[in-house]
Amino acid sequence: MISLAYRRMAAGGLAGFLGALAMLFLPSGIGANPFLVVVSGTAAGALFAAALGSRPLGPGATLVWGLGGAFVLWMAGCALDLVTSGAFRGGSMLDIARVHFAALVGLSLAGILFGFVAGTFGVSPEPGRARLRVARALCGGGFAGIVGGWAFGKWMEQAGFFPLIAGIVGSNSAHVGAALHFAIAILIGASFGLLFQREIRGVGSSLGWGAAYGVLWWFLGPLTLLPLLEGARPDWSVAHAAGLFGSLVGHIVYGIIVGLLYAVVDDLWRWLFERSDPLNRQAEGAGILALSSIARGAAASIGGGLLFSVVMVRTDQLSRVAQLVGAHSSVAGFFVHLVISALIGASYGVFFHDEATDDRIALAWGSLYGLIWWFLGPLTLFPILLGGQFTWTTVAASEGVPSLLGHLLYGMGLAVAFRALERRHLAHLFIDARLRKSWLRRRRPAGSPTPALLLFFIAVGTLVPIILT
Amino acid sequence: MRAQMQRRAALGFGCGVICSPVVWPFAHPLALWVPLLGGAAGAAFAAAVPRESGGWLDDAFTSGALALPFWLLLEIIVLPLAGGGQPAWTAVGLRAAFGALAGWLFFGLMLGAVLNRVLAAAHVALTPVPQAPPAGKPVRVLILGGGFAGVTTARKLEKLLGADPSFDITLVSDSNALLFTPMLAEVAGSSLEPTHISTPLRASLRRTRVVRGHAVAVDLAERRVSLQPDDVQRIARTLEYDHLVLALGSVSNFFGQSNIERTAHDFKSLTDAIRIRNAVIANFERADRESDPVVRRRLLRFVVAGGGFAGIELAGALNDFARGMLAEYPDLDARDVRVTVVHARERILPELGPELAAYALAKMSERGVQFKLNTRVRDASATAVFLDPPEEIAAETLVWTAGTAPNRLLATLGVERDKRGAVLVEATLAVAGHAGLWALGDCASIPDLAAGGTLPPTAQYALREAETLAYNIRSAVRGATLRTFHFTSIGALCVIGHQSACAELRTPLGGRKVHFSGLFAWLMWRVVYLAKLPGFDRKVRVLIDWVTELYFPRDTVQTIEL
Ligand SMILES: Cc1cc2nc3c(=O)[nH]c(=O)nc-3n(C[C@H](O)[C@H](O)[C@H](O)COP(=O)(O)OP(=O)(O)OC[C@H]3O[C@@H](n4cnc5c(N)ncnc54)[C@H](O)[C@@H]3O)c2cc1C
Repeated sequence: MISLAYRRMAAGGLAGFLGALAMLFLPSGIGANPFLVVVSGTAAGALFAAALGSRPLGPGATLVWGLGGAFVLWMAGCALDLVTSGAFRGGSMLDIARVHFAALVGLSLAGILFGFVAGTFGVSPEPGRARLRVARALCGGGFAGIVGGWAFGKWMEQAGFFPLIAGIVGSNSAHVGAALHFAIAILIGASFGLLFQREIRGVGSSLGWGAAYGVLWWFLGPLTLLPLLEGARPDWSVAHAAGLFGSLVGHIVYGIIVGLLYAVVDDLWRWLFERSDPLNRQAEGAGILALSSIARGAAASIGGGLLFSVVMVRTDQLSRVAQLVGAHSSVAGFFVHLVISALIGASYGVFFHDEATDDRIALAWGSLYGLIWWFLGPLTLFPILLGGQFTWTTVAASEGVPSLLGHLLYGMGLAVAFRALERRHLAHLFIDARLRKSWLRRRRPAGSPTPALLLFFIAVGTLVPIILT
Repeated sequence: MRAQMQRRAALGFGCGVICSPVVWPFAHPLALWVPLLGGAAGAAFAAAVPRESGGWLDDAFTSGALALPFWLLLEIIVLPLAGGGQPAWTAVGLRAAFGALAGWLFFGLMLGAVLNRVLAAAHVALTPVPQAPPAGKPVRVLILGGGFAGVTTARKLEKLLGADPSFDITLVSDSNALLFTPMLAEVAGSSLEPTHISTPLRASLRRTRVVRGHAVAVDLAERRVSLQPDDVQRIARTLEYDHLVLALGSVSNFFGQSNIERTAHDFKSLTDAIRIRNAVIANFERADRESDPVVRRRLLRFVVAGGGFAGIELAGALNDFARGMLAEYPDLDARDVRVTVVHARERILPELGPELAAYALAKMSERGVQFKLNTRVRDASATAVFLDPPEEIAAETLVWTAGTAPNRLLATLGVERDKRGAVLVEATLAVAGHAGLWALGDCASIPDLAAGGTLPPTAQYALREAETLAYNIRSAVRGATLRTFHFTSIGALCVIGHQSACAELRTPLGGRKVHFSGLFAWLMWRVVYLAKLPGFDRKVRVLIDWVTELYFPRDTVQTIEL
């Protein structure tokens, strides 16, 4: 019997090898020595799999680790290029990153491959882990896919994207394109359910998985599979990717919606049929937990909201926010902003109360949630509410840079304050030994792919707009 | 714990300093503040690492993820501001700082991995120093009585003490739930499900040990309480204490009338309310089968002795319940159904002003309740209630709310008591001359420092007294100054029947009394008492019962045979 670690290493090596081969054949723009690419790809896959050790992992979790690892590898490659080309100046790192953008796409796809191969062949039996409920995964994911696809479809309609998709079956009709788009959206949603059902703890982490899954499908879909299906060679260059920036935001928004709805359906299901079972009773019931989390989230948003408002004042954004309620003054804008931030804070409380195991993870979840709201707010909802148009463009992203910062600051402030409030509450609860035990059981075990998810989405979500704009 | 955290932070600082040169090739070459800042970031990161953190890869990725927001804060906001300029939050600014991003990202990745290994290697040095056991044995606080006073004292102590191991709190109660008495009349009137107004003690207390038992003796000299033996613990169990809280409440006072005591229903506990409700239903069933009109009238006559809050609320609820039931018994005559309140004084509801009492009397009479004022219940038999001035009411159901006396156990203690039998306490709620003995609630006679006399025995006071008492116990143990108890009633609310109530409130400034009655007072009663009902789930259950009652008739299922 080969031990799990070796099996996983072999699978990782195989995935690295296949990924390297694919990269050599597919993209336009990788000009390295083929032998070196294959050897280093195989070694990187095997080493990364070894680094994962024998932690319990399924395909979904391994996939996320693969994506995180791919991003780090890409950054390391760019740095190596910078060092070897002798140019130690900050500005040129961006140029190198742009030149090697194709490698980021390629490595991410290799990361996906790694996830599938190492996650399927290197999977370990996990005592006590919940069984995968296929029907629930497919129904919940499919439903989430439909709604996400509908939202994304609105942009596609506006951007005239449907005929392009119809090209897959040799048509140029928008209706055929729309039908195909929904079919794909449902498939991706269902696959999300299958891959991540057992990783998802709550709505918060599911939003993260969804957003990262959206990015992955941008690499995989419009950048790779779409041209391949239409018989063309995929173009992973930065210029081509910049032209698909709208589609990137669309994929991320789609992923966020899928993550959100999937978790809500899943949660509802578990709440109705599992948690309501007296055998699974918790000392602090779901109703009380939800209400107190809402209150704590809203209270915690005050600090982050005020920090964000400093950015808004300095960039003169408050009067724009006031337009949401038909007003124009900055004072009205300030109040609207505080109300919005309290609502988002309350939602953070409900979505993330189970996610952060320590202050570092809390800070990272906060940043991720802030980033998600940058995509949802200033890039999507805000322009739609004010003008009825999608502005998923590089220009809008450039203009939204201060707001990106504001959102990240807000998210971090919110997460830190929420955790402090939660800790105070827990200190009171934990004088009851039963509650401490049940809470510890609920916590995410060490070894989960959360760190990889956080790194991948925060890094790619921040960097890709910078690189492409 | 703190020392451990400091050691972690020190290691984190070292690791941060060691890892930070990785930033130099990308930004701020050889700048000395970089290692310092890296060290600070490392210290903060190490302090936040939980003891059961994951592997090095996990920590590397986590700190790598945090490097991005760190980069934004530092390079885009702090450094430009420190240089006297504007934050560089433009697309151009971000692009210019891209190199530094790579540097900080590698720093983050390295820091997480290195720190993880270093912390693992230094595990022995970092294992928590065994905490010194608290000096001496914990202070044992024993609370007798699981009513408003006892349970609130335990809760407030838990809140004040947190997880402080130097205290040990025990609550002895002969029931396993806290009964919310203001809603008891609604249980008797079949508006609310009985368990919905009781909160389980074990679910609502966090660190208090709950002992189900009946206290039968207190040895003040030996500081020991004995519990009644039962079929599980056949030998009397004793509990020792350092501080004893008497919160035993009151019992009905039948003024030595053994016939009344035998015949009448008490109205203090959940069982009493369930029995009264079932008695009404059983009597309707028997009346339906009864051919003799005299017996039938006797069965449908319900006498409530006492026109105070409890009696009036009960009479109103019973009247509504009984008259509503007639719809299911078409053969019974509405004129035979009668609820009678017998009250010894000239007006009901002595706790409220005369206008409200008159309103309640008029309103309830209009709805069919009969009143016998300036009248006492003298005696009772299975089929009649005898009054003074002499009169006989043919009735098979009598409920007693006409008098209460403090718990009888108090008489055995040898402490000073007032003429009702309540334990005399100081304004700090301490029993004079007995260090570590405290009393509150219905069983205590507490001086009213503001108005003179003693404080009334109501839940409103008991709850506030408990707060002072918990504070004083902690202060007494720590040698701090004790507080005296002051409280002026906020007001009183009394439901008198379907959607109508009387309210007497005191204004916050000036303390003027405001009276009102009717639907608004009733709504206020519901809002206030729902908010006061302990336990969120109980609130939801009661709310559902109230909404159900709007659309469906009250439940007339008989649950116990009498
Ligand atoms: C029907 C009714 C309605 C009321 N409505 C209101 C109202 O609307 N507003 C208001 O302010 N007040 C109201 N009151 C008064 C209020 O209920 C009391 O003032 C309050 O309950 C006093 O609290 P306590 O803890 O001192 O006593 P209790 O609540 O009587 O608690 C005493 C506890 O000690 C337990 N016990 C007794 N003897 C022993 C023993 N030997 N061993 C172990 N345990 C023992 C009892 O089981 C009980 O749990 C109402 C009372 C009744 C009966």
